Amino acid sequence: MTMIEFKNVTKTYPNGVKALNDVNLTIDQGEFVAIIGLSGAGKSTLIRCINRMHEINEGTLMVNDVDVGKLKGKQVRLFRRNIGMIFQSFNLVTRTSVINNVLISTVPDLAWWRKVLGLFPKEKKIDALEALDKVGILDKAYNRVDQLSGGQQQRVALARTIAQHPAIILADEPVASLDPVTAKVVMDDFKKINKETNMSILINIHHVELALEYADRVIGIRQGEVVYDGKSEAVTQEVLDQIYGSQAELPKMNDPEEAEV
Amino acid sequence: MRETVYDKIFKPKTYTLSNGKEVKQHASRMPFILLIVLFITIVSWEVTGVDLSMIRTRGYQFIVILLAMFPPNLNFMSNVWGPLFDTIQMSLLGSIAGALLAIPFALLSSSNIIRNQLLNGFFKLFLSILRTLPTLVTALIATFIFGLGTMAGTVAIFIFTLSYIGKLMYEHIENVDMGAFEAHESMGLSKVEAFRYAIVPDVMPTYLSVSLYAFEGNIRYAAILGYVGAGGVGLLLDERLGWRDYPSVGMVLLILMLVVFVIERISEYFRMKLT
Repeated sequence: MTMIEFKNVTKTYPNGVKALNDVNLTIDQGEFVAIIGLSGAGKSTLIRCINRMHEINEGTLMVNDVDVGKLKGKQVRLFRRNIGMIFQSFNLVTRTSVINNVLISTVPDLAWWRKVLGLFPKEKKIDALEALDKVGILDKAYNRVDQLSGGQQQRVALARTIAQHPAIILADEPVASLDPVTAKVVMDDFKKINKETNMSILINIHHVELALEYADRVIGIRQGEVVYDGKSEAVTQEVLDQIYGSQAELPKMNDPEEAEV
Repeated sequence: MRETVYDKIFKPKTYTLSNGKEVKQHASRMPFILLIVLFITIVSWEVTGVDLSMIRTRGYQFIVILLAMFPPNLNFMSNVWGPLFDTIQMSLLGSIAGALLAIPFALLSSSNIIRNQLLNGFFKLFLSILRTLPTLVTALIATFIFGLGTMAGTVAIFIFTLSYIGKLMYEHIENVDMGAFEAHESMGLSKVEAFRYAIVPDVMPTYLSVSLYAFEGNIRYAAILGYVGAGGVGLLLDERLGWRDYPSVGMVLLILMLVVFVIERISEYFRMKLT
């Protein structure tokens, strides 16, 4: 079943930078997709368009049979509740407990007095604790987030997304600020969620080896255009050169530069 | 590196590496800035007509009045309690009300939360207009509206606290890491909900600390508001100074100092706990 469909999507930033140029993609429910490309190629823009964190200028973007561009106000918020998002810098509230972070997705349904006092119903707490258990950090539930390591924080973020029960998870460089071992643990968690719950997962990632190892499908982006779209097993050195450009095209590093001190 | 006029006059320092690469460092602007500051100081000295010899010839008058306050008139103590509690009450009520109302104002003035520049510009302007009003003037205006007494003082302190905490908090909010806010918006929370759950926990310690500090300062402000008829010990000070009853003035000041000291210590203790 088609979950996400880009039809001739173009996105230009106000400063004139064309981040996406005529992108056509179809992603099915339950797929695990890695998006690779150079920094600034448009990977972040691509996934942020899916939950309307960025607006598109041209084309249509359908998610679960909803035309994303046509949503307004409250509709956008309702739509976003069905899409989870993971960030490179975790984006947790660090000055509060782990469980309070995981409970955030329940906030729109709370009574006003609960919002004022910061209280959550018991059944939501149990649901949040189960999400923490899934990523193996149940024992940290009542620790403050700023006491946790980077890897643990990213798993709190993952638990926050699981507790949201979304149909799609978008992950923007989820392992870029983690060490290689922790990165694997987090990627394993993604894989597990993908297999157990059939959520679609889209990951922006710089580590090509991880992308090829974990994802079923790889999308290569270069200067806002999709230059590769296929199975991860089919990715060869030629494909990578096409996505990243060969060494010869990299900007010269030995320009005589003057440093601003 | 862009060369400004300054760089043409004061040449940048050049470091040459062994392989011939050059790195330039701007000459420091500090001497230039110090020169301007010195110039402004001299001008303001001349304009305001500061006469240091006055300190030598008339300075002892400070001590004369201070000496006249000793020993303080202990019998006057019973007259101080009423106005003193008025002062504390004005300060406390005004601070709490101001601090509470500062939250929505800070939210609406923060450019990272309210993208509409017109809207947050309006609230920023409103806060800075409030801030330009000296508390004494606000109190004076308030006495015209609410009549003589503590109500006018409370309103004056309320307005000052609102503008002070509102400004400090929106500056703080604008420097907060917006990651969690973005995450909450991506999960379908409204801006107000995201603010409540992402920004509030982050700025809460600063908010409480700033509010306590404002309360500390407000006690001192509240003490002089009586001069314009806004109630509290200021009324008493004005009256006793007018009658040159310095021992009684000494008594008022002594009690005021003790109260301010105690409140500052308590507030300091809690502010230490918060950070």
